Amino acid sequence: MKKIFLTLSCSAVVLLAQEFNAPMQAYMNELAKEAKTQNASFERFDAKRGERIFTSKHVGKKGQEMACTSCHTVNLKQSGSNLNTNKTIAPLAPSANKARLTDVAEVQKWLRRNFNDVYHREGSALEKGDVLTYLINQ
Amino acid sequence: MRRIILGCVILVSMTWAKSVPVANDALYQKECASCHFGYQPALLNASGWQKVMGNLQDHFGTDASLSQKEHDAILTYVTQNAGNSKLTQGNTTMRISQSPYFIKEHRRIPERLIDQPEVKSLSQCAACHTKAEQGDYSERNIVIPNYGRWE
Repeated sequence: MKKIFLTLSCSAVVLLAQEFNAPMQAYMNELAKEAKTQNASFERFDAKRGERIFTSKHVGKKGQEMACTSCHTVNLKQSGSNLNTNKTIAPLAPSANKARLTDVAEVQKWLRRNFNDVYHREGSALEKGDVLTYLINQ
Repeated sequence: MRRIILGCVILVSMTWAKSVPVANDALYQKECASCHFGYQPALLNASGWQKVMGNLQDHFGTDASLSQKEHDAILTYVTQNAGNSKLTQGNTTMRISQSPYFIKEHRRIPERLIDQPEVKSLSQCAACHTKAEQGDYSERNIVIPNYGRWE
């Protein structure tokens, strides 16, 4: 029983260990502030909402239905593949690819590009925060 | 004089070997070749590159926008190394695959070999040109998926 408890608490620590570095946390705080300004009832970012943003299909920039998973696939610990060019995309999950979600400028660039590609518009602060909260836990 | 001879030899051998200089700019590799094959700047003429770089928000249907600083650095790199040979002559578009020479060189390839999932389109140089990354487009290094060597 003790062992099980120990294993459980260890894995809880591992799960909690997935957090943003300082510059990324500062960016998350900015997004939270913006989300609160846009909607006073905003409380916190939510990984479940982020997952829906990431996996749901939308008519994208090319006029075709697609989702983030069209290229990144549903298993973020594995490589994806660019839908247009077949080019391999390194895993998006920070647990499989330590470089992910560490550089604010990179993150902002890809959120801008990929929201445009999949949603054919920019993402709101709430959407960006939610999707990053989902991704950091992968 | 020696230099001139050496220059001529290199130029002639490059033309024969169907080679272009490697795309060795780190920023270009990071920003452009992370999504698609890193087309060597010499595959498109300067006016073509200006068209490409002038509309990265809608880059062949995809948002490939860059910060101003990165945009300017890459524009300088691609235009300074742009093509100026039979490869790019007469191409008034921003598509490498619209150059008259390119069209002529690919005219005999059956559609089914281009449309197949392993290739997708003539934009995927490296699908058949096994040494495309090194700028080598010579016929002896062509292997078409589900077909084989093209000689």
